Amino acid sequence: MTDLCRRQFLTISGKVLAASALVTPAHAMELELGGKNFHQLRTYHPRTRSHYTCTLCPYFDGGFSYEEGGRIQKTEGNPDHVASRGKFCAKGLASFLGAYDPERITTPLKRVGPRGSGKWQAIEWDAAIAEVAARVKEALPEPDTIVVNEGGHRDGMSRFMNTLGSRSLLRSSAPGLGGVAKQTALQQMFGVSYLLPDLEHSKYVLNFGGNIMETALPLAQRLTDGLVNNRLKLVTFDVRMSNTAGRSHEWIPVFPGSDGFIALAMCQHILQKGLADNEFIRTWTNTTAEELLVALQPYTPQKAAEISGVAEKTIKRIAFEFAKNQPASIFSMNGVSRREQGVDVEQACLLLAVITGNIDNEGGCCLPRQFHIAAPQPAPKPVDGAALRLNYLFPFQVMAGKHPVKVLFNHMSNPVYSAPAASMWREILKDEKRIPFLVDFSPFMSETAELADLILPDVVAVERHDLVSAPTALWPWASISTPAVRPQFKAQDVRETLKKIVEAIDPDGQKGMKQYWAFANAKKWVEQSCAATPGMETAYKKMVAKGYWPDYGKVDPADRKVVKDGEPLAVQYGLYKQTGFATASGRIQVKVPTLKSNPQHEKLQAGQFVMTTYKVAYHVLSMTSNLKYLSEIWHSNPLLINKESALSLGIRDGSLVRVTTPAGYMVTRAMVTQGIHPRVVALSTSVGRAAYGRVAQAKPDQPLPAFAQPELKDDDIDDNVWWRDGGVSPNEILPIAISAQNGEQAWNDTVVSIAPAERGDVYGTVHADNAKHIAIFKQMTA
Amino acid sequence: MGDQEPQPKQHRSYGIQTPGTKGVRGKKRYAMVVDLRKCIGCMSCSIACKTEYGLPLGVWRTWVKVMEKGSYPNTKRIFMPRLCNHCDYPVCVRNCPTQATYKHEEGFVLQRYNRCIGCRTCMVACPYNARHLLPEKRTDGNLPRMVVDKCTFCIHRVKKGVLPSCVQACVGGARIFGDMNDPESEVSRLLSTETVAVLKPELGTSPAVYYIGADWEIMDEPHSYTNRSVQNREEFNDFKRNHKGDAFADIVEGESLMAEVGKNWIGYLKTIPHKAKETLAAFKIFLFD
Amino acid sequence: MEESIVTYNAFHHVAWGTTISVYFWLVGASAGSFVISSFGWVFGIKRYKPLTMTASVTAIIMLLLVPFLLTWDLGKPVRFIYLLIPGYWHSTGPMAWGTLLICLYPMSMMVYSYFVIKSNQTFAKVFGIVAIVLALSTHWYTGVVMELNPGRFLNHTALAPLLFLTGAFISGIGLMNVIVWIRNMLLPEEKRFDWTLVYEMAQFMMYGIVFDIFLLFLDFMQTIYGSQNEVIGHGVVLMQVFRFPYLWLEMVIGLFIPLIILVTPLKRTKAGAIVASLLVAVGVYGMRIWWVMGGQYLQSFY
Ligand SMILES: Nc1nc2c(c(=O)[nH]1)N[C@H]1C(S)=C(S)[C@@H](COP(=O)(O)OP(=O)(O)OC[C@H]3O[C@@H](n4cnc5c(=O)[nH]c(N)nc54)[C@H](O)[C@@H]3O)O[C@H]1N2
Ligand SMILES: Nc1nc2c(c(=O)[nH]1)N[C@H]1C(S)=C(S)[C@@H](COP(=O)(O)OP(=O)(O)OC[C@H]3O[C@@H](n4cnc5c(=O)[nH]c(N)nc54)[C@H](O)[C@@H]3O)O[C@H]1N2
Ligand code: SF4
Ligand code: SF4
Ligand code: SF4
Ligand code: SF4
Ligand code: SF4
Ligand SMILES: [Mo]
Repeated sequence: MTDLCRRQFLTISGKVLAASALVTPAHAMELELGGKNFHQLRTYHPRTRSHYTCTLCPYFDGGFSYEEGGRIQKTEGNPDHVASRGKFCAKGLASFLGAYDPERITTPLKRVGPRGSGKWQAIEWDAAIAEVAARVKEALPEPDTIVVNEGGHRDGMSRFMNTLGSRSLLRSSAPGLGGVAKQTALQQMFGVSYLLPDLEHSKYVLNFGGNIMETALPLAQRLTDGLVNNRLKLVTFDVRMSNTAGRSHEWIPVFPGSDGFIALAMCQHILQKGLADNEFIRTWTNTTAEELLVALQPYTPQKAAEISGVAEKTIKRIAFEFAKNQPASIFSMNGVSRREQGVDVEQACLLLAVITGNIDNEGGCCLPRQFHIAAPQPAPKPVDGAALRLNYLFPFQVMAGKHPVKVLFNHMSNPVYSAPAASMWREILKDEKRIPFLVDFSPFMSETAELADLILPDVVAVERHDLVSAPTALWPWASISTPAVRPQFKAQDVRETLKKIVEAIDPDGQKGMKQYWAFANAKKWVEQSCAATPGMETAYKKMVAKGYWPDYGKVDPADRKVVKDGEPLAVQYGLYKQTGFATASGRIQVKVPTLKSNPQHEKLQAGQFVMTTYKVAYHVLSMTSNLKYLSEIWHSNPLLINKESALSLGIRDGSLVRVTTPAGYMVTRAMVTQGIHPRVVALSTSVGRAAYGRVAQAKPDQPLPAFAQPELKDDDIDDNVWWRDGGVSPNEILPIAISAQNGEQAWNDTVVSIAPAERGDVYGTVHADNAKHIAIFKQMTA
Repeated sequence: MGDQEPQPKQHRSYGIQTPGTKGVRGKKRYAMVVDLRKCIGCMSCSIACKTEYGLPLGVWRTWVKVMEKGSYPNTKRIFMPRLCNHCDYPVCVRNCPTQATYKHEEGFVLQRYNRCIGCRTCMVACPYNARHLLPEKRTDGNLPRMVVDKCTFCIHRVKKGVLPSCVQACVGGARIFGDMNDPESEVSRLLSTETVAVLKPELGTSPAVYYIGADWEIMDEPHSYTNRSVQNREEFNDFKRNHKGDAFADIVEGESLMAEVGKNWIGYLKTIPHKAKETLAAFKIFLFD
Repeated sequence: MEESIVTYNAFHHVAWGTTISVYFWLVGASAGSFVISSFGWVFGIKRYKPLTMTASVTAIIMLLLVPFLLTWDLGKPVRFIYLLIPGYWHSTGPMAWGTLLICLYPMSMMVYSYFVIKSNQTFAKVFGIVAIVLALSTHWYTGVVMELNPGRFLNHTALAPLLFLTGAFISGIGLMNVIVWIRNMLLPEEKRFDWTLVYEMAQFMMYGIVFDIFLLFLDFMQTIYGSQNEVIGHGVVLMQVFRFPYLWLEMVIGLFIPLIILVTPLKRTKAGAIVASLLVAVGVYGMRIWWVMGGQYLQSFY
């Protein structure tokens, strides 16, 4: 019976009445924030709850998943978790849909036909493991020819590489929060990799190139509390109006890459006016206010104004306000760090917090508090010479024959979509001579997985045992995932898959590899991880019970303060006062950088713009575009262009435009807006998919792939997907631009030419020229 | 409860439609305050609601309107979460021919799926677009289909002592829910200390969703039409072309209107098979069960 | 320059569409035809007596199509029965009244027709009066069911039922004339109706048209001097998106061209009267379209 029958209804309405007669809460705040879930109709049936930590992005919010009928029905934040405080963002809330994606890969797939032809044969795990083991064995004499490309958070991949003795572990990004530039800047200055702005207690927040409200959700909830309860003032420097900029008290549109000049000029102004915390500088840094002022001499507000286009008056005013409204904090992200001089600019921004003494104080920039989750012991030793290596240059090195590869593993990364010069990745991965064997652990048919020889489907987050920690609260925490559902069909946790591969390579343990893979399953892995983590040795049982650890008390849903025994929980600020900073000198290492403006940007011609690609609140890079509710909100990415600039080029709202980079061009639609710097154009990431499925590609009528499980068929997707514009991705034509300083792609420095589309141009065309990519690479490395 | 004071005179109620309970002593009146100063446009509310109810694509119980305002460089982004107002004078309830939608004495305006005939009178009546017809196809076919659905203020959670799903999920903490008749509640506190606005107050529907810091332009109905971005208009046209609302009057702008009317006819005819199937099934049950 | 652009909004369907607009037209045409049918037996205008059965049958057929159309328009067609069951019936819902009217009106017409066939003047007159009241009510209701939505600015006017009734009157006559013409073409000489009837009905139609134009003018005044919603509703929705049914189909084709024909000697020609009638009958459908869909259109963006 498809409808709720009458009898059922009567029971429900009976229950409602009964409930309304019985429940008489004294007042409305008696309602709990969450932690329970019920069927919406069937007699309000309660659902089984288990602990779930969202790992879609590095903020790792702790929460719950709710199961009914063998299926996860809902995920949400854990209301008493000190970091998430009950909140998941849209992505975290929709994340469980991935488990039931009709196009999910649920059994090992072996390629039939040429690479990328889309024909697959389902095979048994045993056969798949045997094949991989044979390939690895064959390559073992030269372990560096076994390559792993990894994104996401660390699982078993580095252990696997250490077991095999390979140094070829590539990553699409640095693990943790912020990129390499940010982490390097912080390490040099403070000896830590992250600083958490205490937003709910700040009076004044300067946000440089970060998009707190869309990309840093645990911080965003603290920011809104600060905005309303503490009346903080928020000033955002960004080249376009992000949601954060649009909700800031002031959005200061800057010329791309000029933030460093502004930050240093503000420092100079603050020092000059005697508004700095000279005492703090003297005691806790390697310099003095006087010395600093001298070093800052070249960075005058006037110069900053010239380079950034922001009025000198404004720079001075904001500097003054920042110094006067204490405590104050700084937030900075990719907008300033993912570019040529990323480390320097990050340090310039942070200097503002240092000179005003806003370090690890209430309302300032706080040192990270977190557990460093260790791997189960015994663990293989890292191979000599292995270091964090980003994957950007890999295709060029392979192409140049400098990186022999016998087996390439890919895990939680999708370079054919997400990396710069993505078309180069496509080319090398298609080439069986260069990459003889490609194994992907992806649960979804990503642009990269499409080119694999073998797909060994991993589980998705709601099915995975996990233990994570992130420095997103002022108390250290760790949280756990204890899934209530089994992996769909034959999907298997990557750590178990790796274990089986190792066991097949070293069946009797003689190679000394098997000993590191003695854990029984992923659950045991987590248990042993916990036991190996400093400070958490005995926490496992409590973790499993509560979902997080330690237990600091309850979060009051009204003001979101952590309350223990009726008292708000105090934060211990000024951690450095006991032990000093984790730098060699124990002090903050201040160095006034020598900033250069980008010569390419200086001579922009008419029709030339700096292009930025930005993340939106509703997607995580290429992970989420097949989650129907998220793609329903965000599925296309018109090119944002300033109204006046557009008019001068004869571009109207909605008209087709050609975006040309030195490596090719693409055709997309313009969205003319007032919310962007006149010399900048912007495209969002996460859409414009060539693979991944019908929802991601906005092609619901496309037939389901042969490997799809009929049980996962979703009538909603078949019938109700209404959008047809799937967006365009620029990564294939984004030329490689590796910052000499941070080794990172300078995502936000790309110069492009914009023109109305030419005759015959078709929306969605992306034309990349790999010869040009290679020429750019050669020029860059020359 | 247990309060024995004389009750103020209430106007007549029809059927099970209880009169509004704002300010009525001894009665609860659930209401929501949306503090737009805290809204960051994350749309967690919208997704939490969709997952709570397994809502099909193309229909929303709550959504967030977004507007860009101002001219470079003085621009702002405005967010406006929307949902059913659980009006104290609900036109939708009054106009429903079968009493399928009704007003609960604690303020909820609710829907009885097994009574609803899918006539959509209530959708026409609601001035806020708070209602939708559930499409024939959805992920869980055992949930209601082809009947009208709307925000329920999550009565199934509230009655179990938990906040509505969108309030639970609201990252900014912008959504506050509670009993506005209870002077101790957070909603009462906000309603008495902050300046609030409701949507279309001139219609006299007496909404129970209050906004703090609302922007007049985004609250304005004609504005939503005349100031759409081109992108938004194209998206809406895609929606009208492709979302299989049964027998709806979705006119694609810029296409020949009479051809669009013709397409509506085709859409209507296309509903024959699935409706016939259901009709047959109903008769079978009627005759043989 | 201050600008503001809505960049995101959830999308909404227009809830009532083509079916409802056709239904409004059918009810109107039926009521109009029935008025003609009643001329002879209720109002005692003898020369209309021959037309009675044709008009009555037309009215009944038009109306019998309605339940099928409407029931099938429901999300749950089987549940149409809820509209008639006392425990479900909701006294304040206009549609509940409409259901009763749609049931009673054809019944009363049938009873009336029965007595007409039996040539029972007294009962024919009594049931004719009942039926005519029901005919008017049924069509009044179609106006009311849209009118009683205070949020639909283009529909929320007390003129609505009058506009509908006037439309019914002229489209009913128009339809009758066309039927008479077709009938006369098909039947042998002796069974044909007198053409003067057609001319005379066309004359009535002309008065209706004039009144309809007057009502539309009132409506126009109200919207153009109304709230922002009404002004935009008129200027953008009716004059742009719904320009064809509103301006061309209803006004030009359905009212002004027929009016021109009917005030000139053309009205005394067969062709003139028939063309005018046909145009009016079709033109009224234009009004049904913009009235139903246009009224809801603006709000579907809100
Ligand atoms: N929703 C969502 N959240 C995420 C992720 C996700 O994919 N989606 N990914 C996570 C990951 S891996 C990362 S690295 C972080 C990234 O988080 P963010 O750094 O906050 O995000 P981005 O969009 O990369 O860039 C931030 C902003 O920099 C601006 N910008 C570009 N050039 C300049 C400039 O020259 N100066 C200034 N001041 N601003 C500039 C862009 O317009 C953009 O708004 O987010 C994390 N959180
Ligand atoms: N143009 C442009 N490009 C960018 C950026 C930008 O700002 N602009 N930002 C860059 C940044 S900051 C980052 S961090 C990178 C991210 O880039 P990558 O690290 O490559 O991450 P994703 O593209 O999200 O790919 C993750 C893949 O993992 C797979 N996957 C999804 N869920 C699971 C799971 O549960 N288990 C397993 N095993 N696999 C899963 C899917 O195939 C998915 O495609 O992108 C970069 N790319
Ligand atoms: S911010 Fe969102 S995606 Fe990131 S961990 Fe939290 S819930 Fe997951
Ligand atoms: S908002 Fe609409 S659906 Fe909700 S109670 Fe008011 S009139 Fe009814
Ligand atoms: S669609 Fe359902 S709830 Fe709405 S008016 Fe019709 S019967 Fe009532
Ligand atoms: S109260 Fe419940 S049903 Fe209403 S919008 Fe919020 S989550 Fe959805
Ligand atoms: S969840 Fe809260 S902050 Fe986010 S869009 Fe909805 S109302 Fe605004
Ligand atoms: Mo990243």
